[in-house]
Amino acid sequence: MSDDLEMRAAEYVLGHQESAEREAVRREMEQNAGLRAAVARWERRLFPLARTAPPAAPSADLLARIKAGLPPRVETDAIVVALRKSVRRWRAAALVSGALAASVLAFAGARLLGDAGKPSGVYVAAVNRGGDAPALIVRVDMASGRVFVRPVSAETPAGKSLELWYIAAGAAPMSMGIVGAKPENLALPAGAVEKAKFAVTVEPAGGSPSGAPTGPIVYAGDLVRE
Amino acid sequence: MLDKLDIAHLLAAIGRGERDAFDHLYHATAPQLLGVALRIVRDRARAEDVLQEAYTRVWLRAQSFDPAAGQAMAWLSAIVRHGAIDFIRRTPSARQVDEQYDGWFENLADPRDEEADMMSAAALRHCLGELDETTRAYVVEAYCAGLSGKELAERYKRPLGTIKGVLRRGLAALKMCLGENA
Repeated sequence: MSDDLEMRAAEYVLGHQESAEREAVRREMEQNAGLRAAVARWERRLFPLARTAPPAAPSADLLARIKAGLPPRVETDAIVVALRKSVRRWRAAALVSGALAASVLAFAGARLLGDAGKPSGVYVAAVNRGGDAPALIVRVDMASGRVFVRPVSAETPAGKSLELWYIAAGAAPMSMGIVGAKPENLALPAGAVEKAKFAVTVEPAGGSPSGAPTGPIVYAGDLVRE
Repeated sequence: MLDKLDIAHLLAAIGRGERDAFDHLYHATAPQLLGVALRIVRDRARAEDVLQEAYTRVWLRAQSFDPAAGQAMAWLSAIVRHGAIDFIRRTPSARQVDEQYDGWFENLADPRDEEADMMSAAALRHCLGELDETTRAYVVEAYCAGLSGKELAERYKRPLGTIKGVLRRGLAALKMCLGENA
């Protein structure tokens, strides 16, 4: 392991850098597993110092405030709505979702299941549970490294944008861009592999201002690659 | 207080969307984590804002916690500490650089700790003790109080480049002392 990578990890964990430098390290962590591992090691090394902080009693209502602000969460096993492995079936799923989208649909998610022995698989999830976001069709083509996202109801919630995130294990979500009213054909991030996840959140118009997800998750699914 | 195995179990349950587990985790960890945030942002209301943001991240990301990668409490603490540091980098006005800090290094290796914690704390204490006093102060105050390089430069009246160099050499020496996997 390079000393340079080790030092970037150490400086990030120590925390004395300015915001721009910290952001740069976080962006690099999204792509660089070696850097993530080095950061995790430094977090472990220095953690005993964090434990020297004297405990302080939080306000009595803090837990209630936190819980009131929690975004809805996908309960993975409960939200697998439709998962098809052929374009023909994907079209059928789109029709089903289109019908459901006449009512207001909530978030949903789907696990993108691996199919042993077929690494070129095309995975399709129709996302159609009740709430305040449109249904989506998400198709991931591992062979070409493309993600195809198509909202099937007419519109995104007024004044909002839907943003697609790629989340590698242990890393911060990385924006893949806004999901518009039209179908989007997006590239899978380089090195997209197992233990990754996709999520779609409702964000202010134009996308998350912070570069990190801020709104409710309307779709999330594990990506399992053979 | 729950032991760390229980905290890891709670994170797994939160990953499955169990709100009760979230409550338990909060009660088991919030005072310690508020302490971590408070030492950095120095303002209770703001520290609670940091905590709110951190627990929201925990709620969303509990599934990504890997027990094999380290202690649950270290994972939680890192989320809070980085959140607090990000907060003060955005709004530095809440803090003063001339405050007196002491006891953090000395309090390492609290005898109440479990054995494994005590070992890693004792190792860190030993290795921090090997640094010269100035370097140790920079490292401990950057980590515990979230002081930036600029704030350390102001506090110690040294050029920023000097501070950064001292920190880099200090971190390299710590790694050498603690070993690759410590």
